[in-house]
Amino acid sequence: MNFPLALTGLFWLGAILLSLGLARRAALWRQGRAAQVAWSGLFAIPKRYFVDLHHVVARDPFIARAHVAVAGGAVAVLALAAANYGLMLYLPALDVLMLLAAGLMFAGAMLVRSRRKSPPARLSKGAWNRLPRSLTLFAIGAGLAALLAISGDALGSAARLLALLALAGLTLGGAELALGIGLGGPMKHAVAGLLHLAFHPRQERFSGNKRSTDLKPLDLDSNEFGVEKPADFAWNRLLSFDACVQCGKCEAACPAYAAGQPLNPKKLIQDMVTGLASGDGQGYAGNPHPGQALRGGDAQQPILGGLLAEDTLWACTTCRACVQECPMLIEHVDTVVSLRRHVTLTRGTVPNKGAEALANLRDTDTVGGYPLAARYHWAVDLNVPVLLPGEHADWLLLAGEGAFDMRYQRALRALVQVLKAANLKVAVLGEAEPDCGDLARRLGDEATFQQLAGKMMSTLRHYSFDHIVTPDPHLFHCLANEYPALGGNYRIQHHSQLIAELLAKQQIPLRADAETSTITYHDPCYLGRYNGEIDAPRQVFKGIGIKVVEMERSGMKSRCCGWGGGASFTDIPGERRIPDMRMDDIRATGASQVAVACPNCTAMLEGVVGERAEVVELAELVAARLAKA
Amino acid sequence: MSIQNLKVAVLLAPATHPVSGRPCAAAADSAALALALKLVPSPQHLLVLYAGDADDAALGPYLAQGVSCINVLPTLAGAEISRVLARQLQDVDLVLCGRRAGGGQGSAMLPYLLAEELEAPLLPDALQLQVGNGQVEVEQYLPKGQRRQLAAALPAVVSVHERASAPLPYAHARLLQGQIRHLSPVSLQPGVVHLEPASRRARPLVAASRASGHERMLGAIATDGAKAGGVVVKQGDPVEKAQVLLTYLRDHHLVDF
Repeated sequence: MNFPLALTGLFWLGAILLSLGLARRAALWRQGRAAQVAWSGLFAIPKRYFVDLHHVVARDPFIARAHVAVAGGAVAVLALAAANYGLMLYLPALDVLMLLAAGLMFAGAMLVRSRRKSPPARLSKGAWNRLPRSLTLFAIGAGLAALLAISGDALGSAARLLALLALAGLTLGGAELALGIGLGGPMKHAVAGLLHLAFHPRQERFSGNKRSTDLKPLDLDSNEFGVEKPADFAWNRLLSFDACVQCGKCEAACPAYAAGQPLNPKKLIQDMVTGLASGDGQGYAGNPHPGQALRGGDAQQPILGGLLAEDTLWACTTCRACVQECPMLIEHVDTVVSLRRHVTLTRGTVPNKGAEALANLRDTDTVGGYPLAARYHWAVDLNVPVLLPGEHADWLLLAGEGAFDMRYQRALRALVQVLKAANLKVAVLGEAEPDCGDLARRLGDEATFQQLAGKMMSTLRHYSFDHIVTPDPHLFHCLANEYPALGGNYRIQHHSQLIAELLAKQQIPLRADAETSTITYHDPCYLGRYNGEIDAPRQVFKGIGIKVVEMERSGMKSRCCGWGGGASFTDIPGERRIPDMRMDDIRATGASQVAVACPNCTAMLEGVVGERAEVVELAELVAARLAKA
Repeated sequence: MSIQNLKVAVLLAPATHPVSGRPCAAAADSAALALALKLVPSPQHLLVLYAGDADDAALGPYLAQGVSCINVLPTLAGAEISRVLARQLQDVDLVLCGRRAGGGQGSAMLPYLLAEELEAPLLPDALQLQVGNGQVEVEQYLPKGQRRQLAAALPAVVSVHERASAPLPYAHARLLQGQIRHLSPVSLQPGVVHLEPASRRARPLVAASRASGHERMLGAIATDGAKAGGVVVKQGDPVEKAQVLLTYLRDHHLVDF
């Protein structure tokens, strides 16, 4: 038998199987709803792969190198095989290149193999454990094939045996790739992952420096109520679930999982895969949702109750640690909120205090059911003008829900003191200020969010001001990133950003004799991961002579305090409380004080019992160092 | 009469929110709705009535709580609402309403006036409700945790206590699907409304015991040698102590996990 011809046959057989498999999987994706994506995204794959995706993968240099070698080698082998054998060129020069590529791939496969020897707990086992073997077989097969082609007749009778070995290696290893997409094996990720980069549901992630963290509005008037069954997802969302490589980086970063609450973000995505393929879910070989059994699902059946327990859904703090870590750029938080929206909008069964908080928002425009007139009681002796229509203020201070919390009122008073010391013209809205709707939106109550956002925007329209400043990162995120989709555009700054600017301009008179001290700083998720702002608070601390000892999880890798996404209202039981874990992180630094920059983080960390660091707000630290007027 | 063709009506009226003053669902009316929804196979089987002139939007919370259609009876100035409602309730077996008005023009007299008008028995302050063999059985709320069983032959009027049910879940989709149907005005002789000042004065609260708080706490826990209801846990680590508390709370059905 002619060996090169056999390779040609094998190549085309693989190509046909891969195409059939892709068609089979694509039929599953197309169960989903229509999506607005351009086919031109296909041309953007290389840039998105080498820049955006690699940027995330490179945070783990070992696996990044292994993946470059193994995937780069495999793609080179396949490209060369396509040209040389697929198109039947049979050029010896290409065989030499193929030998080099196979060598590269073999080296990569060895690295992958060594990672699998004692894998971290976050990695899935099962079919994924077979992958290094398949990759090694394919690399050896390709190498032997190239060697045979180069050596010609020099090998004599051994050639027949080597040819058989090469074909066996290529068939067994190649089957992993050719059949992976069709049968849902591990190598599915290569095809689905690349297509996911092309048809990503958040195309804006790849353009410019702007982060894409806003939830997308629902068109409630045309009865869009979120996602009930897997087929309710847009088709490119279903595709995105198939891109998952089960590396478990999300699992390792998830605060709810660490606290033993019944949520594992990796398993959540795999649940969606089980649902879209209508499987029994028993093939999953990673860590489960803590305390939950493996369940099956169907693309046309409701996800909750069948595939997913309700508690899993409500344990999420929407902190985006999973999205931040995901090398395949999967959007876990969008998935959670889509499911929550359906529950909240069609059944209203938000657990524990969640439903009560939503009722308060509907009835009183505050989360706690407070009278709006009480929002600025804390400022009664501070001479902060309440802005009236027709007047003008340079800075409008929106205090948010923290204004009703007696602990946080101290921070708000400190903030006003600082802004006044800097001679800024600050005013507040008084009882005209409604809630921004953040909590309602994270709990899936899009109707209440849109009502509150409409109310906030129509209120702000009546007043004249240059900028908005708020100490609440949730309010900041809503106004800065989510209101634009509803038609509201504001110049808004978080108070840490404003104070950092003022310090840089030396506009805040500081005491000369202020003592230097050491603190640690807890980054709020909605300031850090949602808005990329991790520098301004640190500049403030530097500006007032405070040294920050960083926690292991800080900056963009900061761990949530446990409030986000309404998790402190839905209050799903776990083995530990998330703020307790965060306080352990703080204890590990040895700092006696922890600085916060968010009313909700303040409340959560202040709620930790026992010996702990003192919780101080950023504005309080600055106010304590103001020069005496 | 089998439970299938039982005709159940619920009377709902918007309440005024105590903090914001906005219209909202009344707790007692919602509880009546919750009990009624348990009696019928689907919300379509309920006859839901509101007599008054509130905006449709004020009735929205009830639609979101699961009413499929609210029938609004416009009332003429001064017309007695109980008579307007009674005309619509002639062939209904069971009428449920909240025991107390949620603000506005309600007087909490409606259940009594309506029962008189319909010549049907009234079972006030219901917490639970069962229907069978042509009669309705009710567990009645009394203060200080006391309960009383009442029964009456159908047709009957039941006024429901606000603690009969946890707040019904609010779903925006149901608000959009629900209907509000305006019935034609009923021509009735206007009744006469007597307004008179309330005469009862508030009684000052008398403390049940003159003992100090500390003394009462000592009485509630078992001090050494004394016989009292509680237990003092001194041994063990915090987890074991917490376990004792948890067991206590579970025994008294104060937590359910």
